[in-house]
Amino acid sequence: MKVIYRGSLVLAIAGAVSLAGIGLQTLANAASPAPASADTPTTLRLTPSQYRQSISDVFDSSIKINGRFEPEQRDQGLLAVGARTENFTDSGFESYYHIARGIAAQVVDTRHRATLIGCTPKSAASRDDQCAASFFKRVVPALYRQALNEAEIARSVETAGKAADQLHDFYSGVRLALTEMLVSPKFLLRYRNMEAAADRPGQERINAYDKASQLSYFLWNSTPDAELMRAARDGELNTQKGLEQQVDRLMQSPRVADGVRGLFADMFSFSDFESVSKDPAFFPRYTLLIKEQAQEQTLRTVVDHVVNKHGDYRDIFTTPNTFLTMDLAALYGVPVVDRTENGQPQRWVTYKYEDGNVRSGILSQASFTTLWSPSARTSATSRGKALREHILCQRVPPPPGNVEFKFVDDTGNPEFKTTRARLEAHRSEAMCAGCHKLTDPMGLSLENFNSGGEYRSTENGVVIDASGELNGKPYQGPQGLAKAVHDDPAATSCVAQRAFAFATGYVPPKDDRWRQIEQTFSQSHYDVMALLRAIALSDLAYSRLGV
Amino acid sequence: MMTQRSPRETKMPRTLRLAAATAGAFLPIVFGASAASAETRGYVVSWFAVATNNPDTPVNCPQQAASTNKVDAYADGNQDRRRRDTALLDGKPVPAANYPDLVTKDPGMETVVGKYAYGFDLGGSETNKFIDPETHEKVDNQLWRAIGCVPTFQYTPPALPYSETAPWGAMIDTSPAYTIQVTGNDLSKDGPVTVTLDRTLRHLERDAAGGVRSGVTYVLDPSPRSHNVLTGEIKNGVLSIKPAFIYLVGNMPFYPQIDLQNAHMRIHSEQGGKLVGYWGGYADWHAWVYTFTARPGAGADNIGIYWALKKMADVDPDPKTGENRKISVTWRLEALPAFFATNADGKIVATASDEGLGGKILTTPATQKTASADGVKK
Repeated sequence: MKVIYRGSLVLAIAGAVSLAGIGLQTLANAASPAPASADTPTTLRLTPSQYRQSISDVFDSSIKINGRFEPEQRDQGLLAVGARTENFTDSGFESYYHIARGIAAQVVDTRHRATLIGCTPKSAASRDDQCAASFFKRVVPALYRQALNEAEIARSVETAGKAADQLHDFYSGVRLALTEMLVSPKFLLRYRNMEAAADRPGQERINAYDKASQLSYFLWNSTPDAELMRAARDGELNTQKGLEQQVDRLMQSPRVADGVRGLFADMFSFSDFESVSKDPAFFPRYTLLIKEQAQEQTLRTVVDHVVNKHGDYRDIFTTPNTFLTMDLAALYGVPVVDRTENGQPQRWVTYKYEDGNVRSGILSQASFTTLWSPSARTSATSRGKALREHILCQRVPPPPGNVEFKFVDDTGNPEFKTTRARLEAHRSEAMCAGCHKLTDPMGLSLENFNSGGEYRSTENGVVIDASGELNGKPYQGPQGLAKAVHDDPAATSCVAQRAFAFATGYVPPKDDRWRQIEQTFSQSHYDVMALLRAIALSDLAYSRLGV
Repeated sequence: MMTQRSPRETKMPRTLRLAAATAGAFLPIVFGASAASAETRGYVVSWFAVATNNPDTPVNCPQQAASTNKVDAYADGNQDRRRRDTALLDGKPVPAANYPDLVTKDPGMETVVGKYAYGFDLGGSETNKFIDPETHEKVDNQLWRAIGCVPTFQYTPPALPYSETAPWGAMIDTSPAYTIQVTGNDLSKDGPVTVTLDRTLRHLERDAAGGVRSGVTYVLDPSPRSHNVLTGEIKNGVLSIKPAFIYLVGNMPFYPQIDLQNAHMRIHSEQGGKLVGYWGGYADWHAWVYTFTARPGAGADNIGIYWALKKMADVDPDPKTGENRKISVTWRLEALPAFFATNADGKIVATASDEGLGGKILTTPATQKTASADGVKK
């Protein structure tokens, strides 16, 4: 992709921080659009969660990231794919700049400087190139995810030194140089540079450092650690044995849970929670905290099932095992005992529903039922569409521009008291019927969960009919839907595609290498960890994609 | 919503469900082995304040209504402000608000002359009786007579008296909650029940509208200090108790304690299973005054309130001075369904239910809204 920074603002900011002539070359260079050619590497903009995790790993988890990130684009169902085509707008770049300033200021503040700078300057009031160099030698490769580049280090040291001279403050110099690094495309973008494969004439492979980055963001959702960078530097990642060693090391680390969380948060479209709100008059239990906890519940459920237990992926739709807080339990109408002391945050408690409970499986959790509902009513269509698109990787056409919502929105119409009745009336219009056949039968089986995620047995005094149908097979209620999705081959195929796309930014080509990955997944009884390992070890993930 | 059971849950009869939930060690302590089939519903107190009743100020407080200067009318009248606000401690002047009993001059704050107040017949003097606007019975509530002309108490339910909202709001975000458990063989019918009052270990949880969240599970404080077991009855959907002593530890700035002698209770269920009703009895008037005056925002009327309560106290004469030490009070409360668990083993001992006590969902009588100028329902 072309890296596009809108020039005027970038240059203005560069000027503002350059302090009378200190060159912020990276910013200025970045302001010029990169040339587009066949050799232009694929770039993927760091997602907010990747950015946060990277900063935490390079510096410290106590570094706060304050600010709003440039909005993300979802493509082929994933932000990870949309990241390939994202640019930087003026306002977006300004946001990154302010976030960077905040981070740099914390790194050099009196609380952190001793541990994060790692050395004490001879004088805090002037430049100390030796101390600055030791800091940048550690930080530059970690942030840029590339081999140690002496010229890069020297430039950062010089930037810090000039600023320190003018401001009479060593730490201000480091702060400004670090700010510059944090708005560099080398940090904000991940690259997939292809190069000739020395051991396979005529073939190409991904650059070893970029391979390390791809692996690390795939499995840990963060920047590569020192050992992975060493393996890249020593060429080990270019050998199957070396790659296996690193993949197994990464997967045996508890941090693989971060990668799995990143994958499923993206797959389930949790970034859309930013725009979810519920009318507190109708749904007083749906608080801002519940919004966060709903996502966390599902991610904990998934991680426990696929990482800790190596369970069959399909069972996440039916599992009775989950995690709850006091507030979520109240939303779901079940007791959860939290003996945390007064004033302390609520804690997460394991919870198991009895057999056949309608709350079993992730589809009945608030992360699904509330995300795909408007603020004051349910939408069987939205829920059904989300199931098709996010869980089964099937495309549902958008509604026509002149669609008429008069029946659907009229929740007080005494003639159509239930969502089912309103949708039946809506579908009576021929132009609507086709698509709604795809979505509504699935969505209607979740009608027992209102827009706020609470259970209900009636709507406007009428008992809810939660029957549904998938692939021509009728079923009853949320449990029936969970079983139908569990048994649908599209569900496992979908998660495999999403995992590959999360790793690479590309939907997998349907070739033999992909079929091999799918077969490995199937033979593992749909163990997601086996799937991730197969993708991480496959040549396909490191080949030129999208051609 | 929370309290609507899933199909799976509703297949089990309520009594069995709750018997299962309450089969721990807790119930045998309270009821003995015969309570094995009992069900227990839990509620957390979500609002608690002096029971006010002010449908028409001129009827209750005619001086205030006639005055253009309401502060003077209820607080002072003829004295100059400097003298009123001064007290002497060991010969030195100190803020009167902090030492109200050192101010020897009664500022003569106006007190309620209207006929109607919420409460219970505690057996007090006939000359002090109010008429309860709901039950139309004669009741004792000298606290209301004393403070009912203070503007920050001049509210009628369901409006919340201003004086109590800030301290209550501060308390529920920080302090353990009060709990009510109602246990009976079949709470969907009238009959004898046991009412158990306790505290939780954690503070209440708020909902999205800033109110109290229902359906939350709280762990009960195992300390016996605030553990009260009362004998009660549900009749026509209204829960009452046999007169008893109630003691609950509290926290400032709300109440440091609820200490109620000859306690009475009248509570019914409303939509969503919420309990609404009244507690009444005799409380130490000094404790009430000091609680009130210590709250942030309490001020100019403290001395008047002190003297009004001192005069209105209606029972428990001091053997030495002959002055009454307790005053009849009534608090209005609301409570929301909640689950309760024991601290020792985490067993669920009470469940949240949106069903009405005695099988009845009632509404607060419309008396307050339609009261005429003299407080009589039309």
